[in-house]
Amino acid sequence: MDYDAIVVGGGHAGIEACLALARIGYKTLLITQNLDSIGRLSCNPAIGGLSKGNIVREVDALGGEMAHLIDHSMIQYRILNRRRGPAVQAPRAQADKFTYARLAKETLEAQAKLALFMDTVVDILLDKEGKRIIGVKTERGHSISARVVVLTTGTFMDGRIFIGEYDAPHGRLDEPAAIGLGDALRKKGFPLGRMKTGTPARVRSSSLDFSKMEIQDGDPILMPFSFDYDSVERPMLPCHITWTNAKTHKIIQKNIHRSPLYGGKIVGLGPRYCPSIEDKVVRFPERDHHQIFVEPEGIGTEEMYLNGVSSSLPEDVQWDFIHSIVGLEEAEVMRPGYAVEYDYIDPLNLYPSLESMHVENLFIAGQTNGTSGYEEAACQGLLAGINAAQKLKGEKPLILARNEAYTGVLIDDLVTLGTEEPYRMFTSRAEYRLNLRHDSCDQRLTQKGYDVGLQTEENLMRLKAKLEKIEAVKDLLGKRRYGQKSAVEALKMPEVTMEHLQEVISELSEFEEPIRYQVELEVKYAGYINRQDRQISRFEKLESLEIPLDFDYDALDGLSTESREKLKKIRPHSVGQATRISGVRNGDIAILIVHVDKGGRNA
Amino acid sequence: MESYNRDDIIFALATPWAQSALAVIRVSGEGCRQLLSTSFSRPKALLEAKNATVVHGYLTDGPKGPVLDEVVVAVYTQGHGYTAEEALEFTCHGSLPGLRRILSSFKRLGMRNAEGGEFTFRAFLHGRMDLTQAEAVQELIASQSERSQALALSRLEGSLKQQIQASKEKLLTLLAHVEVQLDYAEDEVDDFTFPRQELEEIRQALALLSSTYAVGRLYGQGARIVLAGATNVGKSTLFNLLLKQDRSIVSDIKGTTRDYIEADCLIEGIPVRLYDTAGLRESLDTIESAGIQKTEQLIGQADLVIFLVDSSEVGHIPPKDERTLIVYSKSDLFKAPEGELAISAQSGHGIRALVAEIAKRLGAGFGSTGDELVIIESERQHLLLSGAAQALGRALTLVDTDVPLDIVAVELGEAMQNLGELTGEVTPADILTKIFSGFCVGK
Ligand SMILES: Cc1cc2nc3c(=O)[nH]c(=O)nc-3n(C[C@H](O)[C@H](O)[C@H](O)COP(=O)(O)OP(=O)(O)OC[C@H]3O[C@@H](n4cnc5c(N)ncnc54)[C@H](O)[C@@H]3O)c2cc1C
Ligand SMILES: Nc1nc2c(ncn2[C@@H]2O[C@H](COP(=O)(O)OP(=O)(O)OP(=O)(O)O)[C@@H](O)[C@H]2O)c(=O)[nH]1
Ligand SMILES: [Mg+2]
Repeated sequence: MDYDAIVVGGGHAGIEACLALARIGYKTLLITQNLDSIGRLSCNPAIGGLSKGNIVREVDALGGEMAHLIDHSMIQYRILNRRRGPAVQAPRAQADKFTYARLAKETLEAQAKLALFMDTVVDILLDKEGKRIIGVKTERGHSISARVVVLTTGTFMDGRIFIGEYDAPHGRLDEPAAIGLGDALRKKGFPLGRMKTGTPARVRSSSLDFSKMEIQDGDPILMPFSFDYDSVERPMLPCHITWTNAKTHKIIQKNIHRSPLYGGKIVGLGPRYCPSIEDKVVRFPERDHHQIFVEPEGIGTEEMYLNGVSSSLPEDVQWDFIHSIVGLEEAEVMRPGYAVEYDYIDPLNLYPSLESMHVENLFIAGQTNGTSGYEEAACQGLLAGINAAQKLKGEKPLILARNEAYTGVLIDDLVTLGTEEPYRMFTSRAEYRLNLRHDSCDQRLTQKGYDVGLQTEENLMRLKAKLEKIEAVKDLLGKRRYGQKSAVEALKMPEVTMEHLQEVISELSEFEEPIRYQVELEVKYAGYINRQDRQISRFEKLESLEIPLDFDYDALDGLSTESREKLKKIRPHSVGQATRISGVRNGDIAILIVHVDKGGRNA
Repeated sequence: MESYNRDDIIFALATPWAQSALAVIRVSGEGCRQLLSTSFSRPKALLEAKNATVVHGYLTDGPKGPVLDEVVVAVYTQGHGYTAEEALEFTCHGSLPGLRRILSSFKRLGMRNAEGGEFTFRAFLHGRMDLTQAEAVQELIASQSERSQALALSRLEGSLKQQIQASKEKLLTLLAHVEVQLDYAEDEVDDFTFPRQELEEIRQALALLSSTYAVGRLYGQGARIVLAGATNVGKSTLFNLLLKQDRSIVSDIKGTTRDYIEADCLIEGIPVRLYDTAGLRESLDTIESAGIQKTEQLIGQADLVIFLVDSSEVGHIPPKDERTLIVYSKSDLFKAPEGELAISAQSGHGIRALVAEIAKRLGAGFGSTGDELVIIESERQHLLLSGAAQALGRALTLVDTDVPLDIVAVELGEAMQNLGELTGEVTPADILTKIFSGFCVGK
């Protein structure tokens, strides 16, 4: 064997996967098409956002890298939805794209046991029975062997970009697609499909009239995504806001037939939540304007990202509609917007460990599994890396529960329900949102990261210290008074905040803001948190009823035919997961409960 | 659920444990027919009976034992009955000592007394029905009256389901409005005011539905009607008349009835448990005083009290309310006050009016749901519906006190989950679909 592990693709999934494997101690090779594009932010120059910010912090708590990369490349930081409540607020940062990618590559280069190699994988190598992966074959003819392989091809597997009538075999504009691997996998029986996504044009900052736009600054206080340190220093840049108008919409409507989507050239399904501007105009004709965020792509560049007008219309139409927008009248378009269509592999064929059911020791992560988004890719890459390492160690995979992490929700959704459009995380996908807050990711996950060999002793101690401080603050509030009540009781009232208490109880200021914040949430919403905890303990009962992977559903009488087929296809790891498979009936779940409770033996 | 064993034969009394004309005992499990044919006067007829046919015969206490009862057995072959297992349903006489003998004899044959809900569980296990269906069928079989049977049937056809579905659809739309605020940043979505009015309307609809439970229970379990009044007013006479049989002793001696007597009957299709009680008077007789105390207890638990007043000796009369009916007796002898209900057990005068009045009182609440009769009967459905209504009530309070939206969403989610448990789950994907189809969001 040349390596313990090979990771294919140096995108956001691949970065986490190869770092995890190497850090746990396995000799790992990253093969990627172009070393210069490692960690490139293909689309918008931002990390985080609602639920996605939580994912970044989950990755960090488990011992992943994404939070470090954004912490040291951000050029604006904001906490979103502060007023909407504790469960749904989340950090989001604008990134300096170039710094982000450079840091990513530097981090990989600095990692012991990790080798980097520039080439394109065109096939996977299997053992004689065709059941287990033993290596990969590359475009330039190398056959490289390894015990496990993690596949993270992003938008590149048979990628094709579209700009109006123009199309080309690219994964990103002017980056060649990875050709060959898709066909090779199809031949081996993998269920592949097509998906699509798109990106807006980039315009030149000096050609824009910012005085006609609304300015949007970041928060004055900047909090790191990572739990590993308490503060970071970064320069801060503003974003700007402008709107489309009736003229813009008219231009788009008049030229809609020239869109590759409406013209039928693209077959892959795009995301409903991230519509192109032509989609928005067609589907919501009653709206007379749509918002656009003008975001800097970095510090040393003039390129500005037009967030909100992703488009695959021909370039002349893009020019015209951009110039119809207030503040963009004179905009110099530097790169056109485009759509990209690519191969994904149906994630229903994965175990919850992200290992393929088709071929043993092959793990698949990121956009290849039908997701979209940097954070979604990173968390899968991390879990695929961890579980590939667990497999090498001969240990049980790490499967995060839906009440532990958005990462758990994401993977469970993918392998249980599959996806018909590029899957993006939303807070409403999680049943126990209150428990998945970004500020407490470390409490839920650091220990797990440590157990699989990724987290450090030091971070474990940091967590311990944090928990002690939280207890100390709670203690303090229990002892002191605020008005007629104990400070704890007072804090439960909607109108009293931690800031009010701080004015009276000066010792509170000795604690860091995140500590005070967490105590405030825990006290204020204790009733709801407890209620959710009770629901969780019910939920966990079914999750804890494990179903052996080789469970013989055919030997189980009484199952409906539909349920039997579904269960055989998905092979849930627990009764809980089985309850979430669409089309599996309650009666069949009852039968499962009876049988797995007997220790999984078939009756 | 885990403790249920699926392989043995189970039996249970399907009708309430109470003295009544007829009772039904259900038996389910592979081999039950073979086993019970050994205690049946016509074993061959039982063994050869086709699915869903009935066999008449005598049940004996074990092979060749003494006769226990004359019964009619409904036979279900495997895959057909309620549980989809081989099953028998014995309709026998409803005397309590008789039932006790039969059930203990069944136990001696090696069958097991079913746990609560176990029949339904087995039906469920064989994939024959969803939860609402299972409950409806359970009630169908256990229901005592025709009226109730019609209700249970309409449940299966889904009138309850439709009403809940309508509320669920409205709640889903509302939830989508809320979730879009939670899933997108404040600068990405339009300004938002909470749809308070819509929420209140859904809450009211659910509360109304859940309030029909009391009526439903009446039909399932029977209404308690207590005949009360002074001694010698004619309570026992009326009791016998309503039952259409002489069950209670009638005499002109005051204090004839010393302990209460109960019996089941139907009044206008409503199952009723009727109580004849000891007449109320000061008494030195300890047995009679104890009887009077019991009467007072029964009055406390009654769904309806018929207070008889002898038109000639009007004494204490309790205040009228929706639970207390004042009826003047012996109208053939004395004239009752104008406008009051009066009856004569002797001539039959006023009895029809009384029966109609009873039915009206018990049926109160029916009219309130509109022309379509949708009534919930099971405890579980009631809990889920009232739970949903309460969660929405709490959500309203939270909205009014400016509590953050994601906390409000917890309550909305709970209500939605309750409705989902009744008529089919609402998944996050359903909510997202609603969001994407209704809102222009996303960059
Ligand atoms: C045009 C466009 C628009 C997008 N729009 C959005 C959006 O609106 N919203 C959103 O959330 N996300 C969007 N994204 C998606 C986001 O960029 C991805 O989700 C994220 O980058 C996925 O990470 P990944 O690691 O799975 O793949 P990628 O970041 O695509 O990385 C894959 C890497 O693997 C390499 N590779 C692929 N195949 C091979 C092979 N066979 N051999 C060797 N190397 C290989 C590629 O060169 C690339 O470096 C968009 C992406 C593109 C290109
Ligand atoms: N004329 C006439 N006599 C009646 C009528 N109803 C009852 N009686 C007589 O009234 C007497 C008392 O009747 P019961 O039915 O025993 O009265 P009760 O209320 O049960 O009396 P206690 O059990 O002693 O409390 C009997 O002699 C009945 O025949 C009636 O409608 N008309
Ligand atoms: Mg009497």
